Amino acid sequence: MTDINEKILIKGNYAIAQAAVNAGCQCYFGYPITPQTEIGEYLSGKMQELGRGYVCAESELAAINMVLGAVSTGVKAMTTSSSCAVALMQEALSYACGDELPVVLVNVMRAGPGLGYIYPAQGDYNQAVYGGGNGDYKIIVLAPSTVQECIDLTYRAFYLAQKYRNPVILLADGLLGQMMEPASFGEYPYPEIDNSSWALTGAKNRNGRIIASVAPDEKKQNQHIYNLFKKFEAITQNETDYEEFMTKDADIILTAFGSMTRNIKAAMNVLRNKGLKVGCLRPITLSPFPHKRIAELASEGKDFAVVEMNMGQMFKDVKYAVEGKSKVSLINKPVGEWLSVEEIVEAVLEGVRVNELTRV
Amino acid sequence: MEKNFIIAGFGGQGVLLAGTILANSFMLAGKNVTWYPCYGAEMRGGTVNCEIVVSDNEVSSVHKKDTDYALVLNQQSFDKFVARIKSGGTVIANSTLVADTRPRNDINYVFAPMGDLANELGTSKVTNMVALGVLSSAIDVVDKEYLALGFEKVMGEKKKDLVPLNKTALEAGYKALN
Repeated sequence: MTDINEKILIKGNYAIAQAAVNAGCQCYFGYPITPQTEIGEYLSGKMQELGRGYVCAESELAAINMVLGAVSTGVKAMTTSSSCAVALMQEALSYACGDELPVVLVNVMRAGPGLGYIYPAQGDYNQAVYGGGNGDYKIIVLAPSTVQECIDLTYRAFYLAQKYRNPVILLADGLLGQMMEPASFGEYPYPEIDNSSWALTGAKNRNGRIIASVAPDEKKQNQHIYNLFKKFEAITQNETDYEEFMTKDADIILTAFGSMTRNIKAAMNVLRNKGLKVGCLRPITLSPFPHKRIAELASEGKDFAVVEMNMGQMFKDVKYAVEGKSKVSLINKPVGEWLSVEEIVEAVLEGVRVNELTRV
Repeated sequence: MEKNFIIAGFGGQGVLLAGTILANSFMLAGKNVTWYPCYGAEMRGGTVNCEIVVSDNEVSSVHKKDTDYALVLNQQSFDKFVARIKSGGTVIANSTLVADTRPRNDINYVFAPMGDLANELGTSKVTNMVALGVLSSAIDVVDKEYLALGFEKVMGEKKKDLVPLNKTALEAGYKALN
């Protein structure tokens, strides 16, 4: 038996799959799509071995609705997919929020729009954070930046989904899914949540229960939505998470999410060596987003440069948080090979140069 | 210290496995390391490659524009990656399939008949281990003993019978430049 704390070299996709197993995921439903197919491949054997449920569904639409069905009975369940196929799941996510179901969905992002291609991208920030389903709803979105975090945040995804009866999206990307890095699993670090007050377990010796999002009573529906948003306020209070590096004396703060975090940290070190006071801030929860912390830093006059592999999606959230108190610029590229450390450094230096010119 | 490697060749030459073994050897030596493959249609023939970054500190970016070292097992990979080697870097090539040409003056060249050496051991399947042996004798940061441990780690208990032949292949590669 291997030591659970031993570091092993493992792919992000396999790390997510085994972490789901450790978190107590009883049912997996999925449909293959690059760059996340290894998750289903791994679980197709593992779940059977453990006597748990595995279904290779006929479509992504079926897979997510199977998850809704499974979690409504109180068991932990998950589906995983990628960008264009996660698009097919948006209706179900809206239902899951309305129904308050602890769905766990992993999106290993690839390039879009449409079918796009299998190379990595970060174009689903809006899809995950703002959603493509109908009605007012909010999803918890976690963005891992390393293979170790693929494990840690998969654990957290299951926990938060159960704790708040709310869908959670783990927003990874093709680079993270395909790369290998040393990581260790440890044990699932969270307590089990009692769901006996709501789970549909058969009405023997108790009254029947209904989980539904249909709302023919306007007054009740209003109250329900107020309650959902009150719940998300609590989530924002308790669960907003981010990492900061050298922001204290920084004039410019590089901001990125997911695996781009590594590149901005490296760029920060290069720029520091050139004498520029650069820091980094990296949201771990994209929803709830660390608006408050960004606003604080902006009111200290610190500028932001958002680095992302899309046309400026998180950029809008940073701008919203900053509220014009400081400058926010965008360093981006739509899809494919990640912006290199050198390109980020170059863009920041160019920005500083332009700033100095406008000051004169 | 941060160095990166590209390992490239035909699908089926064991390029991704060689990279996995190299990455494991760095992990076992206590270094930070990442492994990133090209993924997709390349697995069905054509050229395949992976990139390994090893660092004493946190690995900066996983997939870089240029590389310190390229271990190339076929001609297409040589032609493709020679241009991406940093000035002062090294290409280590399988001369069984790669012609001895030196298109740049600012990089180092190492040629060794990795395929032939593997065939002498009875199977071309160990070309990748011969290649890692050559790499360990040409490049300081790569350690032959850790490569052997890396191989054992990747193969696990089930494939322990493969260890002796592959260690011999590693050794044959290591001695190829002497």
